[in-house]
Amino acid sequence: MADPSVTAIGAGWYLVDDGERRWRVAVAGEGDTQWVFVDGQVETIEAPKPGRRRARSTDPGVMSPMPATVVAIHVAPGQTVAEGETLIVLEAMKMELPIRAPRAGVVKTVACAKGDLVQPGVNLLEFE
Amino acid sequence: MTVGTHTGSIRRLLIANRGEIAVRIMRACRELAIETVAVYSDADVDAPHVRAADRAVHLGAAPARDSYLDGAKVIAAAQASGADAVHPGYGFLSERAHFAKACEDARLVFVGPPSASLERMGSKIGARRLMVEAGVPVVPGEAPADQADASFTAAIERIGFPALIKPSAGGGGIGMKIVRTAAETVDALAAARREAKASFGDSTLYVERLIERPRHVEIQVFADSHGNVVHLFERECSAQRRHQKTVEESPCPALSATVRQAMGRAAIAAARAVDYRNAGTCEFLLEGDGDSARFYFLEMNTRLQVEHPVTECVVGVDLVHAQLAVAAGAPLPFTQESLSQRGHAIECRIYAEDPAQGFIPQAGPILLYREPQGPGIRVDSGVAAGSIVSVHYDPMLAKLIVWAGSREGARQRALAALREFVVLGIRTNIPFMIQLLQHEQFVAATIDTGFLDREGVAIAAATVQELPAAALAAVAEHRRLGSRVSAGTPGTPGSDPFLTLGGWRG
Repeated sequence: MADPSVTAIGAGWYLVDDGERRWRVAVAGEGDTQWVFVDGQVETIEAPKPGRRRARSTDPGVMSPMPATVVAIHVAPGQTVAEGETLIVLEAMKMELPIRAPRAGVVKTVACAKGDLVQPGVNLLEFE
Repeated sequence: MTVGTHTGSIRRLLIANRGEIAVRIMRACRELAIETVAVYSDADVDAPHVRAADRAVHLGAAPARDSYLDGAKVIAAAQASGADAVHPGYGFLSERAHFAKACEDARLVFVGPPSASLERMGSKIGARRLMVEAGVPVVPGEAPADQADASFTAAIERIGFPALIKPSAGGGGIGMKIVRTAAETVDALAAARREAKASFGDSTLYVERLIERPRHVEIQVFADSHGNVVHLFERECSAQRRHQKTVEESPCPALSATVRQAMGRAAIAAARAVDYRNAGTCEFLLEGDGDSARFYFLEMNTRLQVEHPVTECVVGVDLVHAQLAVAAGAPLPFTQESLSQRGHAIECRIYAEDPAQGFIPQAGPILLYREPQGPGIRVDSGVAAGSIVSVHYDPMLAKLIVWAGSREGARQRALAALREFVVLGIRTNIPFMIQLLQHEQFVAATIDTGFLDREGVAIAAATVQELPAAALAAVAEHRRLGSRVSAGTPGTPGSDPFLTLGGWRG
């Protein structure tokens, strides 16, 4: 297939002709992540980041997937937990969101308190 | 009182809500030449509902309890802005009897039922008792007076498993917990109390037998202060995930004319039992289909429903216009004999959530936004490009409502419209809706209320598809143009060296 021709047709909109048919594609976002829409399908596309190591050796711990409020903490430091056990209960957008243990282990620290508004990507709890 | 419109006694209306419903009510007000007053929190300073209003009053901090749920602040805002009426929308203060009473005391017209009706229906426990007295069929259930865990455990033993624990106040599936074994009861009660307390400020619970694989079918009713009560037929709302409705339609394909009539009569009886006034909805569970189907009263929602546009499309009425007329003391603008169903309507609720990641609610900025248009397509929305979806409120961004002559026509129209509905910057359930509307059970109209909880994950998985090469070519062009712009603009960060043509990765 020949290289598709791409024509910008308005803020964030592109008309792409791949030789077979034409597609109307919307793209948004600056920097490393672009959001793309075509025919009801939505994806994010990351720019490749050479020089940044992918793997991290540290334990990922337990994080909130989104901004949320801590409504209950079911564990304390030193406590042994089984995989899948509910550690913390968060609430976001009127829904309770149980955070479960990703593996069996011993809780080292609890880095949040009941009532805290927690952000995604921040450890709520560490395992030993 | 001025002469002219039938809403003459309402000249300036405060809308005690946000998002799509506030915008929709303001649109009705413009049509009726009623001035509008918006209220807003710190999170909504630039929100579409604030921009759409003639006046706007700041309430307080972003959390709902400091703003949209603070009845005293809302009433103060109404008085300060010279409003003579308050429309509560849905959610927030809409079903709180004390708020309706406070409006009445402040001589503000509450666009809703009298506080006395709210009190009687607002307690789902009291409502059940009233319905039994009015001859409306109900699901077996109990409401322990002392609310103790042990009393619930005993009640569930009598009712039988599975049981459903529900908050007495509120709705929307919040705080509802299914209990399948005795061991789950105590945890479920604790979670239900927390959610009920947080969302409704009232942790009172009750428990019912769970009817397995029922449909959720509800009847729209409307009553005025002249003794007229009518029903506006049904809405089928079985496509629910964790008791949160996602797709609603009308008519309900499983409802025979006989059962439809019986449900309409029951809904009118329910409304009369509480001296109802305003738009209201009687929710029923439907077991089976055709003439042999049985229905049970679930609850009455004493407000305008999220899914009211489905009825507006099929019946050809404007429910907000009618609400304002009735609140102003006018008789209903329609009679039972004048109402009929025409064609088929489907509503898709567009949520900020990521179906591929367990439907986790999403928050963040909307970078690009475009609504579908065309014959038979209506979008009620409360966001725009540049809106920041906040963690503080319900994740519903918009509703797509389509109408066509037949169910299949409406399904095809909804699919085409969803494929043109662009929301970039946060994940939404639009790709999920596209899959759901093509599911063989949706096509066959055999969905029960448990369908999405059983099949939702599989349907979400089907949304993960390879992107056409055309999309990647557009991204590459976007990056090339973007890097050229930023490189040529002093004072902005330089072009990203990694944003080169062909640097994308699917």
